[in-house]
Amino acid sequence: MNYVLNDRESSKIVEFIKNFARKNSLWVLAYGTGCGAIEIPPTMTSRYDAERFSVRGAATPRQADVLLITGYLSVKTLKRVIRSYEQMQDPKYVIGFGSCTINGGMYWDSYNTIKQLDLYLPVDVYINGCMPRPEAVLAGFAKLQELIGKGEANGWKHYKENLEWYRQNQQKLIKNWKMPDYNW
Amino acid sequence: MTFWQTLGAVLLTILIAFISGLFYMGIRRKVIARIQNRYGPPVYQNFLDVMKLWFKESNIHHGIMQHLAPLWMMAMGVSTLLFIPIVYNSDFWANFTFKGDIILLLYLMVFGSLGFALGAGQTGNPNSAIGVTRGLSQLVGFELPWVIALIAVMIQYKTTSLTDLVAWQQQHHTWIAFEQPFAFIAALLVLPAMFRYSPYDIVVAPSELASGPASEFGGKYMGLMMSSGSIFMFAKLALIVDVFLGGATSWLWMIIKTLALYMIPVLWSTVNPRYRTEQAIWSLWRWPLIFAVIGLLIATV
Amino acid sequence: MADLIYENTVVNVVKEHFKDDIIDAKVRRQRRVELRTNTNNIESVLLFLKEKMGFLHLSHISCVDWIEENRFELVYILWHPQEKVNVLIKVDVDRLNPVAPNIDYIWPQANTYERELREMFGIQFEGLVGRHELILEDWDDLPPMRRDFDTLQYVMQNYTFRSGREDAQDVRETIAKRTGEEIPEFAKKYSR
Ligand code: SF4
Repeated sequence: MNYVLNDRESSKIVEFIKNFARKNSLWVLAYGTGCGAIEIPPTMTSRYDAERFSVRGAATPRQADVLLITGYLSVKTLKRVIRSYEQMQDPKYVIGFGSCTINGGMYWDSYNTIKQLDLYLPVDVYINGCMPRPEAVLAGFAKLQELIGKGEANGWKHYKENLEWYRQNQQKLIKNWKMPDYNW
Repeated sequence: MTFWQTLGAVLLTILIAFISGLFYMGIRRKVIARIQNRYGPPVYQNFLDVMKLWFKESNIHHGIMQHLAPLWMMAMGVSTLLFIPIVYNSDFWANFTFKGDIILLLYLMVFGSLGFALGAGQTGNPNSAIGVTRGLSQLVGFELPWVIALIAVMIQYKTTSLTDLVAWQQQHHTWIAFEQPFAFIAALLVLPAMFRYSPYDIVVAPSELASGPASEFGGKYMGLMMSSGSIFMFAKLALIVDVFLGGATSWLWMIIKTLALYMIPVLWSTVNPRYRTEQAIWSLWRWPLIFAVIGLLIATV
Repeated sequence: MADLIYENTVVNVVKEHFKDDIIDAKVRRQRRVELRTNTNNIESVLLFLKEKMGFLHLSHISCVDWIEENRFELVYILWHPQEKVNVLIKVDVDRLNPVAPNIDYIWPQANTYERELREMFGIQFEGLVGRHELILEDWDDLPPMRRDFDTLQYVMQNYTFRSGREDAQDVRETIAKRTGEEIPEFAKKYSR
């Protein structure tokens, strides 16, 4: 046995194991924002059973890995969503859900909903549709798992690196910003 | 028994308890899924969950008590397990049993919950506070019948040693569950409350209380809690198997018996809704307590 | 047609009791009576309807913005649980100085409706307590339900759109072009 693993290879193996565990255990924060939240119960329960793909609900942001933004976000909700997102523990992922998060959807001319989610939070996967069917949601989760497996779902790193840019966008909308710098 | 042998036995016991505990939980998830007409997660799902939690890269705590809280749980789980003789007539697997270990175990099994209550209280989360009060009330609820049931057994066989109890059962080829059925029924009835399964899951209540005391614990803390939960669960099951179901002559028997015993609260919980706190306490102080007291009377007469 | 016995009774009794204070009273259709009064008398009318006539339930307080006539119209909708009749009491409020009496001592649920109107139309109710914000948060523009609040302009100023989306695009026309369908003349103006 002359062959010894060098640092690069061993870290590759560790990364692989980490990503394998992460992608096969997604805990979704139970936080419904728009009308799309109504598609989550059928996705989770007997009919479509997301649990067989290792997707499970988590009760609080501390325990969750995935933040589902299920539809339109009013400015008031955005503030809460940002807090919830920042309380989640790394690594964390965001799934934008429905056309409202992509380009405003049918609320494009509403005075109180945001039009483009990725200005305010780093989105890893978008699921389009108004609203997406549970099959589409499951496909979205599968896509996210694929990205995690490849180590490409790095929204949370991106958010930390570009925190200032995100903060600027967020503070433009949320006028009364009474939050700590980063809500641990 | 040299020091190294003891150490090896201890570590192996913890490891096997950990693995089988996680598998039992996986089986539980699968069973619940099948009852709900779902396919369900794979049985090894809990391993992936624990691994993922350990691989989390940020771990936030709000103070030293919260930092220590999962460690209390772990200490309780491990120490409870180590005072339980696993295999009958084996020096290697007897761990640290000694005369009077049942009394020590009665103390140890509450210690972790109390420590965890302090830690959960420090988070300042209102859900945790509510969960803690409910959890401690429920603790009072199930400790009473549980302790009386064990005391009944201790009085009847005039011993406070688990090894003696197991030896008596093995030599007489019978189970205390048949000799002292009332205490056994009382112990069975409090099992769901000990595991906090339905109908006694008002403490964690994921949808209303946001998982109660655990709501501020994430990352590695959560992983530690899951690990200690699996060890403690196995320890409790092994304790009941030793006291009531004749112990085990090998690890295989231990696992078969604990798994069969575990299925009782699991199946019972799947068909039950949730009790409110006062309903839970009164339901624990009614039939389980009555059975335990009858057992105590039979034992003393 | 059903006979409108109770509806007519309401109109007559109210007219008799309040005389000139009721500007207008008529039966709109079955189960719907419409009264019009002014802000000075609205409290006594509501109290009379509740205590004497048995309209026990306040269903809603709504508001219409008549910007051309420079007035807000408040509509109080009451419900009679036994006779199953709705009565609508309309009150005009000056648009430049919109002040109306607070009625949450008659029906506590009016508090929420009035706070919503205060937020969405900027109508002040005398002596209304409760947090100033109900639905909106940190709003410092015109109240958004007023008709002189230009929603589209506000949206364009405050939000960024993803490029590639041509908003208010003629969807029907686009689809028709792609499929070669002919849009009939009457449908053209609805196709937005
Ligand atoms: S995309 Fe459609 S379903 Fe989803 S929130 Fe927007 S309007 Fe509702």
